This record gives sequence, structure tokens and C-alpha cells, in this order.
Amino acid sequence: MNIPGSFLGGAQDRLLPASIPFRFFLSASVFHVLAWAVLFLAADDLAGYRGGTGLVLAAIHLATLGVLVMTAIGASYQLLPVVTRRPMARNWPTRLSFWLLLPGICAMTWGMATNALGAMSLGSYLVTLGLFVFAVLTADNLRRTGGIPEVSAHVWLALVALAVFVLIGLLLIRDLETGFLADHQGLALVHMIVASFGFMGLLVLGLSLVLIPMFVLSRSLPARPGWAQAGLSVLALTGFSTGVIFDVPPLQWLALAPGFAAAACYLWLMRMALKTSMRKRLGLPFVLMRASWGLLVLTLVMGALTLTNIGIPNGPALTGFLLVAGWLLTFLTGVLQRIMPFLASMHVADESGLPPLLSDLSAEGPLKIHAVCHLAALAACSFGILLDLTLLVQVGAALGCVGAVAFAGSAGYVATKLKRQASSN
Amino acid sequence: MSFSRRTAQLLHEDHQATVAVIESLDQLIAKARKKAPDISDPKVQKTLKNAGGAIEEEISQHFAFEENELFTRLEDMGDVGIGEHLRSEHRALLPLGQSVAELARDALANGFTDESWPKFRNVAAELIERMLAHIQKEEMALLPALEDLLDAETDMELSTAYADTH
Repeated sequence: MNIPGSFLGGAQDRLLPASIPFRFFLSASVFHVLAWAVLFLAADDLAGYRGGTGLVLAAIHLATLGVLVMTAIGASYQLLPVVTRRPMARNWPTRLSFWLLLPGICAMTWGMATNALGAMSLGSYLVTLGLFVFAVLTADNLRRTGGIPEVSAHVWLALVALAVFVLIGLLLIRDLETGFLADHQGLALVHMIVASFGFMGLLVLGLSLVLIPMFVLSRSLPARPGWAQAGLSVLALTGFSTGVIFDVPPLQWLALAPGFAAAACYLWLMRMALKTSMRKRLGLPFVLMRASWGLLVLTLVMGALTLTNIGIPNGPALTGFLLVAGWLLTFLTGVLQRIMPFLASMHVADESGLPPLLSDLSAEGPLKIHAVCHLAALAACSFGILLDLTLLVQVGAALGCVGAVAFAGSAGYVATKLKRQASSN
Repeated sequence: MSFSRRTAQLLHEDHQATVAVIESLDQLIAKARKKAPDISDPKVQKTLKNAGGAIEEEISQHFAFEENELFTRLEDMGDVGIGEHLRSEHRALLPLGQSVAELARDALANGFTDESWPKFRNVAAELIERMLAHIQKEEMALLPALEDLLDAETDMELSTAYADTH
């Protein structure tokens, strides 16, 4: 039987073995369930959360490092060689990064949940090493690139943000042991902003320039707004972080303008992709992606309102929740459910040796359950935070958990098909 | 997408034409569902005429060109997996495209029956799903690679030869 995957492994091949991206995706699916489950347990503390160790911090890092970063790394390892037209130099370091990140995230979040500083430190070192391997591999691929310059620029900037948020993260953990920082809370805010808007946000903005036109079969997107969104994002991130670190509120305010402008460029580009799309029926992943674009705007508006101190109850917690669970998690689960069957189809064949249909590799039912539960969870948790109602947050987290289990089921379904194929050969 | 290599641009234009036919076929099936569409409707006739001609032509010429001229060059560079996968998709698409074309021509001549409509609908649905995913993969992984794969001279030779087959 002629299986494409069996031809892989050559140093010049841009198609990685399926096991590399899928180990990241499956781990992300499990961390997704854990993040909502821990949030359920932390429901009482969520609305008033302003930082510090405990279950809320663990839930945040299960979602950010466990789901968002794992998904972004798995997707980047497979997509970057295709986008840049340069294969990864070696495959083994991609596996190494996974085996550093997986135990690292587990130890770190366990330490955060139980206030065990040793586990937190050990986990953070492992995570740092894993992210370092990812950064080196990505930088090496970009260095040799002949691909789309504005996309590469986003990824380069995301790597800079990665270095900054990791460094601050290590300082914050060290500060829990020694208390040497003058403003722990301020630096924690910068850490969160640089990690989510900087690292994850720039990856989302950059890879969307390629992924979305490919998904919808649209015209290529113009380069200038792509460059503009990257420049404006950097301006916003730098201005806001500087404003927080040196306690200059007007600078934080000023930084909102390029932040909104970057989001406007991005949404204009996405609208243009959909407007020139040759596909009419885009399916469930695009329901989630469209929702995530709305949630990006809502996050920025809520952030601005929180800065004004006009009395939005629990504004900081609500903004953080909308940013992580609203914009980023919604977007990435939409992308993930679209690319998992797509990538899997490149590695499996049916009994006749032909590639399977994408619909045969998708578990539609569980994905529908996930979408409904996820959107309901966002609404319930948001109102729970706003009204400081623990029960409502618990209902939302429980719904999120059910959705995440359904999502993990669909990811497992794809992985089982892949594994069955591998063992039959 | 737009490409600096003429060969990539020609293949991209082929894809656009095929997606247009495939989309209208998709809408025909979505609208009609279990009930056979009215063959006297000019829109239905146009969709079936396109399905009867364009898809088969696209499949035979476009696939042969890619397999003989492009995948071989990719493989020579060591980029084996993507070409091999696209080749296997061609093997799945070819009989489906021919079958849809045949059934569409038959429907235009004799109309749909209770037996022929479900058959057409099932084969066309599989063709639509496979073709869209296939084009997405080629647009992302094959056509951009031609920018590096072909020098200006080879690009001109290949694109001229390909344009002559249309």
C-alpha cells in the first residue's frame, strides 16, 4: 500500500511525521479539560482574582501554556516549513521540545495550584528549555526562509515576545521565593499581556494571513495592512508595558490606540478574506473563528473600560478571561478542529490505498457539543465574574469542561484513525 | 493568491475555475437535497454542463501536468511527502470526476430518475469534498513552492507548454 507518511523523514521533506504535531494537539486537548476543571474548583476566587498562586493561576497556565502554546507549537512545526518553503533542519528537537514542555507544564501548574514553590520552579525551568528549543528551531527555519515576509516578521516578533514573557515569568517565580520585586503585580500584568497579546497574539495575527485565505480559498491578502498590524501591535505592547512598569497611566492609555488600530487592520484583513472567499459554506470552525474576532474586540473594549476605573465590577478578571478563554481559546479550537483532520488525511489511506474523506476523520457530533458548550461557558463565566456569582462561574466552568471533553473525544477520534493506520502498515 | 511564476499562476487560475464549478454543484445538491432538481431550470442546466465538461478536462490535463512536470521536480529536491500525497489524491479524484461528468451528461440528455439522482448526489458530494481539500493543499503547499522550484527559463517553457494544452 502506498502511504504518503511512509515516505517521510527525509531532511528536505516539508511534511513532518504526523506524530509530531499530533502529540502537541492531543496534549492540548487534555490540558483543555484540565483548565476548565481547575477553573470549576477555583470558581469562588475567580471574580476577585488580582494575581498570586492558587487554583486560578493554575487554571490560567493550563489554558495558556497547556492549550494555547501547545497548539501553537504543534501547528507552527508543521505549518512553518510549508509557509516558508524550508523544511525543518531536524525532526528530533521538535520531539525534545514536547518532552520538556509536557512534564514542565504539569509540574508548574501543580506547583501553582498547591503553592509548592519547588515544583513550580522545576516546571518553569523545563518549560523554559522546551520553549527555547522551539524558538531556536523556528528562528533557524525563518533565517533560511523564502516565504511570505510579513508572516515571517510576525513570527520573529512573537519569538521576541516569547523571550520577554519567559524571562518575566522566571523573575516572578523567583520573587515568590525571595520577594525582591518592588511591583510583583505590575510585572505579572506585563507578563500576561506580552504572553497573550505578544507571543500568542502575533502568532495568531501572522499565521491567519496564510491560514484563513487557504481555508476559505480567497484572494491573497494585501501585504501593507499585514505589516501595519505587526507594527501597531509592537507599538501597543511596548507602550502599555512601559506604562505599567514605570507607572505612567497616560502611556497605558495611549497604547490602547495602536492596540485598537492593530485589531482593526486584522479584522479588515479577515473580512476581506471572507468577502473574496470562493467557498460559501465554511462550517463550524468558522462559527468559532468569527466569534473569536468579536471577542477580541470585546476584550479590548473591556480592557479600556477597566483602565478608566468607571466601576466595571471585577474588570481585570473579566478582561483576562475574555482574552484567554474568549479570543484565543475560541480561535484556536476553531483552527484546531479544522487542521487536525486536514493534516491527518495526509498521513492515512483507506483499504484501497486512497486518502480518506475529511468528513470520515471528523467527529461532527462532539465538535457541535463543544461549540455550544464553549460559547455558553464563556457567557456564563463572564456574567458570573461581572456579578460575582460563584454558582454561575461554576455552571460556566462545568459547561466548558463538558465541551472540552467532547473536543478531546474528537481529537482522540482523529488520533485513533491515524494510529490504526500506522499499525495496519 | 498571486504568484510571480507564470506556471503557478496558470494552475491557480485552473483552481479558481474548478472551485467555481464545484461550488455551484455543491449549491445544487444543497438546494435539491433528496428531490431531484428540475432539469429544465437554466441554472441547473448550466451547472450540469460545467460539471460534464470542465471538471473532466481540469482533472485530466491539470493532474497529468502536475504529476509529470512538477511532482517529479519536487521529489528530485527531496520534498517527497507532499507530491506523493497529492498524487494519491489524484488517484481518488480521477474516477470521481469522470463519473460525475458522465452522470451529468446523462442527466442533461435524459433527466434525473429516482435512481440516478441519489447516485449523482453521492458521487458529486464525495468529489466536492475531496476536490476542495485537494485544491487547498495545492494552493498552500505546491504553488508557493514553484517560486523556488522553477527558474525563469523553466517556468516559461512549462507555462507555455501547459497553456497550449488548454
